[in-house]
Amino acid sequence: MKDIKIKVNDLSLYYGEKKALNEITMEIPANKVTALIGPSGCGKSTFLRCINRMNDLIPNVSIKGEMLVEGIDIYNKNVDVVNIRKKIGMVFQKSNPFPKSIYENIAYGPRINGIKDKTQLDEIVETSLRQAAIWDELKDRLDDSALGLSGGQQQRLCIGRTLAVSPDIILMDEPASALDPISTSKIEELIHQLKEQYTIIIVTHNMQQAARTSDQTAFFYMGNLIEMGKTNSIFTNPVQKQTEDYITGRFG
Amino acid sequence: MTSHFEIELEKLKGIIEKIGQLAESQVSESVKILLQEPGVAEEKIIKKTESKIDKLDVKIDEICQSIFALQQPVASDLRFIMSAMQISNEIERIGDLSLSIVKKAKNIKEKHDLIVKFSVGDITKQVELITAKTNNYFLTRQESTIGEIFVLSKEIKNKSEGTIHEIINEMKTNSKAVVSGTNLIIVLKHLERISEHCTNIAEYVYFMVNAKIIKHDKIDDILPRE
Amino acid sequence: MDTVVNQTENQFFSSKKNVSETKGKFFIGITQLAVILIIAILFIILGIIVYQGRTKFSWEFISSFPTNGMTEGGIFPALIGTFILVIVMSIAAVPFGTITALYLTEYAGENSKFAAAVRFSVRTLAVVPSIIFGLFGLGFFIQFIGAGADTVLNDGQLRWGQPNILWASLTMSLLTLPVIIVSVEEALKTIPREMREASLALGATKWQTIRKVILPESVSGIMTGTILAVSRGAGEVAPILFTGAAYYLATLPGSLSDQFMNLGYHIYIMSTQSSDVEKTMPIQFATTLVLLILTLSLNVVAVIIRARIRRKAK
Repeated sequence: MKDIKIKVNDLSLYYGEKKALNEITMEIPANKVTALIGPSGCGKSTFLRCINRMNDLIPNVSIKGEMLVEGIDIYNKNVDVVNIRKKIGMVFQKSNPFPKSIYENIAYGPRINGIKDKTQLDEIVETSLRQAAIWDELKDRLDDSALGLSGGQQQRLCIGRTLAVSPDIILMDEPASALDPISTSKIEELIHQLKEQYTIIIVTHNMQQAARTSDQTAFFYMGNLIEMGKTNSIFTNPVQKQTEDYITGRFG
Repeated sequence: MTSHFEIELEKLKGIIEKIGQLAESQVSESVKILLQEPGVAEEKIIKKTESKIDKLDVKIDEICQSIFALQQPVASDLRFIMSAMQISNEIERIGDLSLSIVKKAKNIKEKHDLIVKFSVGDITKQVELITAKTNNYFLTRQESTIGEIFVLSKEIKNKSEGTIHEIINEMKTNSKAVVSGTNLIIVLKHLERISEHCTNIAEYVYFMVNAKIIKHDKIDDILPRE
Repeated sequence: MDTVVNQTENQFFSSKKNVSETKGKFFIGITQLAVILIIAILFIILGIIVYQGRTKFSWEFISSFPTNGMTEGGIFPALIGTFILVIVMSIAAVPFGTITALYLTEYAGENSKFAAAVRFSVRTLAVVPSIIFGLFGLGFFIQFIGAGADTVLNDGQLRWGQPNILWASLTMSLLTLPVIIVSVEEALKTIPREMREASLALGATKWQTIRKVILPESVSGIMTGTILAVSRGAGEVAPILFTGAAYYLATLPGSLSDQFMNLGYHIYIMSTQSSDVEKTMPIQFATTLVLLILTLSLNVVAVIIRARIRRKAK
């Protein structure tokens, strides 16, 4: 039996009165890449941000249902949101390194977790950058500002920064949407390598990207989860007509 | 850094090599059965290989479908996948024909005499050669090979047509020979078909390497002029 | 027939165009005139001050005490008093203003009624006439807190219940608080949301995010606010009129409970209460020149820093 990392039961999300997610139920397998696809405003990003409770930051959001991560409902009152976010990292659409040095960007997470030892930090910085496949490019300029890096490098740095707090799950919100094709394929290859150690959930507008990178694909439309299944079967033989229409570009 | 897509392509290439080798041995096995007295064990081997080829053919189709759907191959990758699907199709046909040759061979009485009489052995040698060359062409992509394949195919066709003519003449005079003769004609036609499938495969390999579709063209147009 | 129609149309359009063009030119003229007028006024004021003050303006003037019943000598104690005033004022106002701005942008919800009330209060505070602050300082700091402190701490002996640097600085800090709050708030708003999200997504708490990401990023905003507040505080007279400024002191202030001299106040008394207003005219102009240089250069620095923040935000 495959290992289920996240189990979602009847999760609904409201912006004030407006229902943005409608009773989503799904299972996300461990150590796999799950892609969330769908047209703009379908709720895929909103759903992604539910998984590390990033929607908490938006006023007037209310959530019903369960989001079980390793069997624990992260919306339970006893759960500390800070711990959730340490366990569930996030990479954003726009690469957002801190205006600090490359080293400090990676060390930020470990530092707030109370790691002060310099050798330990050095080690974390190196392993994280290696995992993000960017160590060789940056090892000689760790003290340079992260803002001087190219967009693709910044995004991989941000992935490395996320890895530095050693999460189990990595959420990616259109991580390559602002990048050129070469950087995009580097990120995609990185995702492929990372899934051995992490459970990855990626939101993408780019269906081909979902096809290339993911093992599971979930199609969202108007706040509903229309279909979820193996990426191969979604892209060769989707069950729902809406899914077929969307992935073949015959939408609307 | 080899991407996981490249790894997948390598895997596909490996499977095609394997199915090609299977087909090659299938042809030579069936030719052996044709030329000598058939043994039951050998026919079993043929059938086993046949089912292996069929399975690999399906597997190649599945891999190609998933690559098309998920990886959006372009340029040389696209040509490789397109060719892979066609090549596996042709190979599967070669496998079928080999099996059919073995079946038809059972119906030929006094087979040894007939084969010697019409020098079928010459044709089968050439058919074995053309399958080996085709396999080689896929592996090495050496462009001179395609010319040899086309020349061989033409020779096989001419020789087989001549032989068939002789067999028909024999059947006209000797009515006892009709059943065996008809079956032998079918076998010869099968061998001819195998060599045609080999030229098709060569065409797909050529397309894969040179991005030029040469179906239906004359051989002379493709071959470098001397 | 066609050509006639075309002609009338052309005339119609061209005449209309002429009207709007003249109107446009007229308004452009007015705006240009207004700009020229403002620049002219500024240069006239600056010109007069520089011209009249140039004879007295020297290093000696800045670094020496007034002598001879303040009809001769320099403005050293007034300059030092002004410095002490703005420093104590900044120490009080900058942390307070920064914390308020942090509350407004980081902690208060978008629809928070309390935050709206705070914002309204800050805006109101900014338009309260400065003399009101002076009176408030006198009533609240000196007579209420100062006198109260004397009763409790000094057995009624007069020490804090009278005008001094501390009360004047605190009064001034109330006046400049809105400047700081608005500047810091503006700087905080230019920090992109992604930066906050990045930090929070790494498992940082809100306070860690503010301390390690938000505050370092808003340092220049806080600096701008401080400099603007200092330049405002250096030039205001009304708030310190009753709360600590002295007519003349032979020594520099030694503690927060001492009174002090101040540039703006010095100009005021020199031009209204001096024994010989005519004779001290060059001193008055030179003092004004010093004050102007001080506030103008502070403002220029603030503008430069602010421009840098804006550029970075893009």
